[in-house]
Amino acid sequence: MFDVLKALTLGLLFGWALQKAGLTHYARIVNVYRFRDMTVMRFMLTALVVGAVGIQAGIDLGFAANAPIPPTSMLSNVVGGVIFGVGMATAGYCPGTIVAEAGEGRLDAWVGGFSGLIVGALVFGLLQPLIMPSLARVGALGRVTLASLTGASPWLVLLVFGQVVVLVLILIARLGSDVRNPARTEHSRRVA
Amino acid sequence: MCDDLRVRPWFPLLSALAITALAQPLSAQCTSNASSCVICHETQGLRPVLDSAQIWHVDHGFGDLCASCHGGDPASSTKEEAHLGLHQPLADAANSCAGCHTDDASERAERYRRAAVSTAPPPDGPPPTTSLPEVDASRAANRLLTSLAVVLSIVLFFAVRRTRVPESRPLLSCLRDKIWSPYSAGALLGLVVAFAEVICGRPLAVSGAFDKLAAYLGRWFFPSSQYYGHIMTPGVTWQVWLMVGVLAGSFASSKLSGEARFRWLPDTQWESRFGGSRKLRLVLAFLGALLVQVGAGIAGGCTSGLAISGGAVLSPAAFLFMMGMFAGGIPAAWFWYRGRTN
Repeated sequence: MFDVLKALTLGLLFGWALQKAGLTHYARIVNVYRFRDMTVMRFMLTALVVGAVGIQAGIDLGFAANAPIPPTSMLSNVVGGVIFGVGMATAGYCPGTIVAEAGEGRLDAWVGGFSGLIVGALVFGLLQPLIMPSLARVGALGRVTLASLTGASPWLVLLVFGQVVVLVLILIARLGSDVRNPARTEHSRRVA
Repeated sequence: MCDDLRVRPWFPLLSALAITALAQPLSAQCTSNASSCVICHETQGLRPVLDSAQIWHVDHGFGDLCASCHGGDPASSTKEEAHLGLHQPLADAANSCAGCHTDDASERAERYRRAAVSTAPPPDGPPPTTSLPEVDASRAANRLLTSLAVVLSIVLFFAVRRTRVPESRPLLSCLRDKIWSPYSAGALLGLVVAFAEVICGRPLAVSGAFDKLAAYLGRWFFPSSQYYGHIMTPGVTWQVWLMVGVLAGSFASSKLSGEARFRWLPDTQWESRFGGSRKLRLVLAFLGALLVQVGAGIAGGCTSGLAISGGAVLSPAAFLFMMGMFAGGIPAAWFWYRGRTN
């Protein structure tokens, strides 16, 4: 019962963040791949760094010993990512934003999005025994992290990682790649 | 809170503090979706096997399958109870495999037996210890990273020197804002990810919920499928409740900002490219969602469950996945918008 409450609360904040960042807009997602609106990257990279600091603090304090580490198997990670990217650029969706779009009242997400996810899950269920045993073996490193791979101190890896991310975010802002951001121009037109 | 994050360095600090205040001591079963075998052996590193050269472990590393060959009780939290009834699967390989692979158990067992001759460790050998060259390598890595950190600090100092400070506003007024700075919203998501990992021991994954729900249909359509019988069992799990929360959170946010309303078409960019056809939107929405879910299945998670949650524990899988996302997304976006300037 308490678990369900925790899941609902975390989900609520997750959905809130997705909606407030404007990730429920088709253009926001697709324009990342056209280098016209980097909101998604700003949002994701910020979440990555804040989350990483929080988790590492939790581990050091002895609370997060079971923080799950996803297994790395290079080929399937990349191949899955490519298929995922094609889907994202086609519909302007990722699984989380479909749910957030549905919460906003978008009927294309309720009808097309949810059915696509369910059918996609079934398609993967059929493919899994055929492709995964061989695909997952290529470049399989197991449940490693950048820290465990290099043997360096996790906080040091985190520091450099955070610095690189902040630098990338500053570069994105300086290059002004979202000058042509449709949401923003629409807004400024309304103001004027 | 809605202001620009760049000038609010207390955000990461706050996240760490909040976690310290609210976290509770870990218990082995907590609410992790991994069995306690994986928690102790892989995550905490007591005799890990999944990154070894033993192909039977690599072959079965995609799921929570230890007990189906080794026996024992993955649900119990003490070592003594969990290890009750453990046996050596290779000693009776054909029977161990037959639990799941009913048709060709002996064939599979034979393959593993042959591989075992060259790779298996002594049955109860000591855990692998760090050898001397590895210690040297980690020292070199530390030194390299430290110098990198110093250089980056200097670069960053010059980069943020002239950042403007946004004016402050009443705290709660931002709840009704249509849009937040992506840094503020991202920081909120980062806190949520950290809470999910630290307190619940789970990635913040959405795509898994649909796998679990689709498994009800999968069992119905393919009753003999081993995938739905052993690996992806149906259930209303933690992730399904997380998804319900996302639905509610997005509704609350859009209701407060006055953006919640029923509509069929996404936005002006869609209409200027694809027109006002409802049918075309549904077809492409279905196709895109299908590809996204298949890709998430192959990669081992979606944007939230693998890229963000996995990246936050610094797993290389997350960064490989993001590279793949761009490698697939850029050509696909080019395909849909080729020859257009809008």
